[in-house]
Amino acid sequence: MGEKILSVYWFAILVIVAGAIFVMAGIFYGSPYDVREIEAHLLSNRVADCLVRQGNLQKEIFDGKSFLLNEQNFLDLCRLNFSSPDFEREQYFVRVEVFGQQEPERKIFELEYGNKNLEADCKIEKEYSRTASCERRVLFGLDKDGKLYKIKILSVVGKIKKNVR
Amino acid sequence: MDFEKRGEILLQNIIFVILNLLFLVVLILFVTSRANSAHVLEEGYAKQIALLIDAANPPMLIKLNMEKARRVAEKNDIPFSKVVRIRGNVVTVRLDSGEGYSYSFFNNVDVGNPYPDGDFYIFPISAKE
Repeated sequence: MGEKILSVYWFAILVIVAGAIFVMAGIFYGSPYDVREIEAHLLSNRVADCLVRQGNLQKEIFDGKSFLLNEQNFLDLCRLNFSSPDFEREQYFVRVEVFGQQEPERKIFELEYGNKNLEADCKIEKEYSRTASCERRVLFGLDKDGKLYKIKILSVVGKIKKNVR
Repeated sequence: MDFEKRGEILLQNIIFVILNLLFLVVLILFVTSRANSAHVLEEGYAKQIALLIDAANPPMLIKLNMEKARRVAEKNDIPFSKVVRIRGNVVTVRLDSGEGYSYSFFNNVDVGNPYPDGDFYIFPISAKE
């Protein structure tokens, strides 16, 4: 009699364990892979390579007097394509800020490109994964006269519905 | 009489252990089948290819091992040469009769026709004219 009761309990335990594993596997494999952090990192790399090569500001970007980068030529010069056919709006945002050596606090150049609404997500804590993924990068570059410039890059990737459940 | 009782207990225990093992095997098979399901692999490969293209510097040839994708595609009667399609800046991976999974990349490079080579897929990357 006791063995029969034990086997009923054991059967119940098996059902609970199986159910839990089915649910966990469903949740785990049903959630998309979130690759936005890597994507934002690669976007920062791409923009950094476009601005500075081997420590020197690119000639196409800075002619020695002024910055040639603007909203019209940014995608072409940096070899980028921000179209996202699966989404209604652009899913990327990039901001480039350049500061001089003499007055490190004074911004001498700024460029914003993409969906500016995504930038607000960068102020929200990272634990809330239903927001855009942001990466901030600081680098330095020399012009042809040896002057040093500090460059700040912010790259943001949205694509929430493809990366977060 | 006593021997018969002992034999019964041993048989019950053996059946109990076999049933438990069977249960464990079914669970492992279930989790493995979910991990290697067409949809999970489609998403994984599409995103992996998009990220590889984002990181590419032309001219370059990217060689990606897609052995698992090949196995699943062949099981679903999809020719391996038709598993990956790139249109504009969107990668689509299809491993069953569905629409497949698409993911876009931002690197404005020319990705020539990707082609299979054994278990691998080759992606020729060149600069846009």
